[in-house]
Amino acid sequence: MSSLTFILFRLAPGDPTINFLSPSFNEETRAALMKSFGLDKPLWEQYFIYMGNLLQGNLGQSFLQGKPVAVLLADALPNTVLLTLVSLTAAYAFGIVAGAFLAFHRGGLVEAVSIPAALATRAAPEFWLGMLLLAGLAFQTGWFPTGGALSPGREMNSFAERFMSGDFWWHLALPALTLMLYLQGLPLLLMRATMLEVLNDEFIVMAKMKGLSRWSVVMRHAARNALLPVVTAFALGLGASIGGNVVVETVFAWPGIGRVLVTAVQSADYPLAQGAFILIAASLVTMNTLADLAYAALDPRVSVGAKR
Amino acid sequence: MMKHWMLTVGLTALSALPAMAQQAGDPVRTLVILAQPQAAAPQEFQAAEMVAEAWKQLGLQVQVRALPSQQFNQIVWYERQRWDATTWQMVGRPERSDPDELTYNLFVGANAANGYNFVGYLNPEYDRLAQAQREELDITKRKAVLIEAQELINRDQPYGFMVHPKNLIAYNATVWDDSTMKVQAGIGVRNFWTWIGLKPKGAQKDVILNSTATPTNLSPFNIAGAQGSWAAELVWDRLMRIGPDGLPQPWAAETVTRPTTTTVELTLRAGMKWHDGTPVTIDDAIFSLEAPGYGDKSPMYKPFVGNIAKVETIGPMSLRITLKRPDAAFLVSSLSKLNLASRKIWAPIFEDLKNKPETAETIMEKLPVGSGPFKFVSVKLNEQIVLEANPDHWAKPLINRWIMRITPNIEASLGAMKSGELNVLADYTGDPELLMALPKSNPNIKIADALDMGIRFIAYNERRQPFGDVAFRRAISAAIDRDAIAADAYGGAAVASNSWVSPALAFWAAPGIAKRVPGGTVAAAKQMLKDAGYVLVNGRLHYPVGVKETTAAYQ
Repeated sequence: MSSLTFILFRLAPGDPTINFLSPSFNEETRAALMKSFGLDKPLWEQYFIYMGNLLQGNLGQSFLQGKPVAVLLADALPNTVLLTLVSLTAAYAFGIVAGAFLAFHRGGLVEAVSIPAALATRAAPEFWLGMLLLAGLAFQTGWFPTGGALSPGREMNSFAERFMSGDFWWHLALPALTLMLYLQGLPLLLMRATMLEVLNDEFIVMAKMKGLSRWSVVMRHAARNALLPVVTAFALGLGASIGGNVVVETVFAWPGIGRVLVTAVQSADYPLAQGAFILIAASLVTMNTLADLAYAALDPRVSVGAKR
Repeated sequence: MMKHWMLTVGLTALSALPAMAQQAGDPVRTLVILAQPQAAAPQEFQAAEMVAEAWKQLGLQVQVRALPSQQFNQIVWYERQRWDATTWQMVGRPERSDPDELTYNLFVGANAANGYNFVGYLNPEYDRLAQAQREELDITKRKAVLIEAQELINRDQPYGFMVHPKNLIAYNATVWDDSTMKVQAGIGVRNFWTWIGLKPKGAQKDVILNSTATPTNLSPFNIAGAQGSWAAELVWDRLMRIGPDGLPQPWAAETVTRPTTTTVELTLRAGMKWHDGTPVTIDDAIFSLEAPGYGDKSPMYKPFVGNIAKVETIGPMSLRITLKRPDAAFLVSSLSKLNLASRKIWAPIFEDLKNKPETAETIMEKLPVGSGPFKFVSVKLNEQIVLEANPDHWAKPLINRWIMRITPNIEASLGAMKSGELNVLADYTGDPELLMALPKSNPNIKIADALDMGIRFIAYNERRQPFGDVAFRRAISAAIDRDAIAADAYGGAAVASNSWVSPALAFWAAPGIAKRVPGGTVAAAKQMLKDAGYVLVNGRLHYPVGVKETTAAYQ
């Protein structure tokens, strides 16, 4: 992945000196800047320097921000993680309950209305959803702020202070709601489909025959078994959302990893873009692994190396 | 009988086509105008489309090709043989109040290979004028030279100038005293003088403005992008500043004189302090003038000290700058541009850089220290820049803090103005009509508009025929309806242009030049092409007879 990101950015058109164009810009200026960025060296040499630094945990210095990439990413990552966790948890909590409910009440009016609604929010572009919410809940009513993670000029000395402040959560509400609405379709439909399969299984028939209550049959027996694919989807969704919130972060000026990536790619800030990509890739791999482990823990039948 | 007659006429006309083609050169290839995507630059894109439509009326086949910003800049700047024409813009900056920077760099032949003359305009007569205006210290004579240069460019049309935009700035009139919104010539109300003189009406004493772009690092040796420079000029003082009238005036220097054509003497203001409390000394001023010239460690600022031969102290707070050659714009292009940097902080950094490949542009102090009217407080990538008023400054601002919110979503910025989260909408790239309508829904909001010194234009690549032909350039420029572009593409928030010197710089601008584009109409443009030997064959423009199309179409 590191090699791929290194090559990708160097193959893309443009170089970082483009950001410095001014009427006095000339070849001498460009040469000095290319040297400053280490881009005057042969590609193979740049690659070995980059990989060497990476192995030592050094992501380099942003070309344009004058700060280490690790610092810039560390500033943005908690914002993205919180936005993702909150919206994904809310989406999955809602999706699981609503999916189970719809499966159990199949064929009714509620299902006829709910499924198209879930599909519509799932299919609607994120920016459109975001702008609708902004127009209704921020521009018109003023209930929520129009963007950012904190009120203008608000300074926080630590992440803990930031995340404990009501101001932060007030700013988080609309982007999280947008993502939640966008994400809830998958768990809802997945849960419903799995539940419909599980509800026809013999052990459910057995549970009913044993005279267990409706609640117990649905929640203790059916829902628990139907949860497995939803848990996997949650973990995968978490990994994907770390880098996939670009649109929501842009609409709400949310200072997360997605916007770092956009800023870096737009300005050919190679070290920052590479760092952001590696972080996103690492999140995906980690979450995939966690999904596998969670699946094994929840369903002994899929345990790796289990005794048969 | 009738059918037979029509058939005869038709066949005769068709048989005449090859003969007409023989009286013409090759058809002009499909020309491509490069532009940034509509979503990124809607007004420029629409203007490019309008230009393309006008050129089609001349018999040209024209396409507008949108490219992402990086690719767009890369091709225009570094692949100069490849493109035909491109949209481009020069933004207004205080130091461009003197036309020298653009006069010299945009069109002088020496800059054609790698500099800002990316269209490859070569005209020794223009080079002579550009140099003459630079060396002429008599302002009246210099103005005459600059007018002559503008007329020459009008004759040769290396660019299809389109418009000078208007700066539209919205502000909350219940928060800020209207009368303290200062208009700077060619810049509008979003300027240094407004920020230091803005008077709050009530308890809200923080200016909260927006930026659509993410500024780069703040450093006295980095020419940040437009938005970053708004912050930088508040943190670092300069020896002179461009005043609201567009003329340079002493700032950190108390007095500035030019005893001879190649010397400038100045006296530093007494009692100035850096933000860390240490005094600003004459040594700091000398360092600030010399440091950009140290090797290749400050390439962005180096050109602005390139004409300095020597800097020496002539008194405890006075220094003399000796220039290599006369430079009429020195007070503007150098003394009003170079930031005062602390020798104590930056000399060790430059020393350290000697053994490293990095340049000063890429270095950002942990807590940037200037001597300007605002102190640096914090910067968060994609979030905000916060500055606070410097109580020790002789021009202490009346506001408490200057907060720039980074908001890429322009509709959200409009909403933030309505809700009061912003109290100055300083950076608006959306539809002007939406902005102009804002005061109707919220009477607290007022709009200040002022003509900008910037320009929007189509640059013709003179390396590629037919753009190398002056007659062709004059004709395609004549076909551009600048008033329509200003009205439709820019929603009225622009005026027609035909020079790099905006009418906002009234002293330097050639009077009425926007109305004196040679020809000036599509009909005249057609005649100009015909007079130059270009031929219309079956509605398509061909080169003059004998001329082959030797340039590959843009891919």
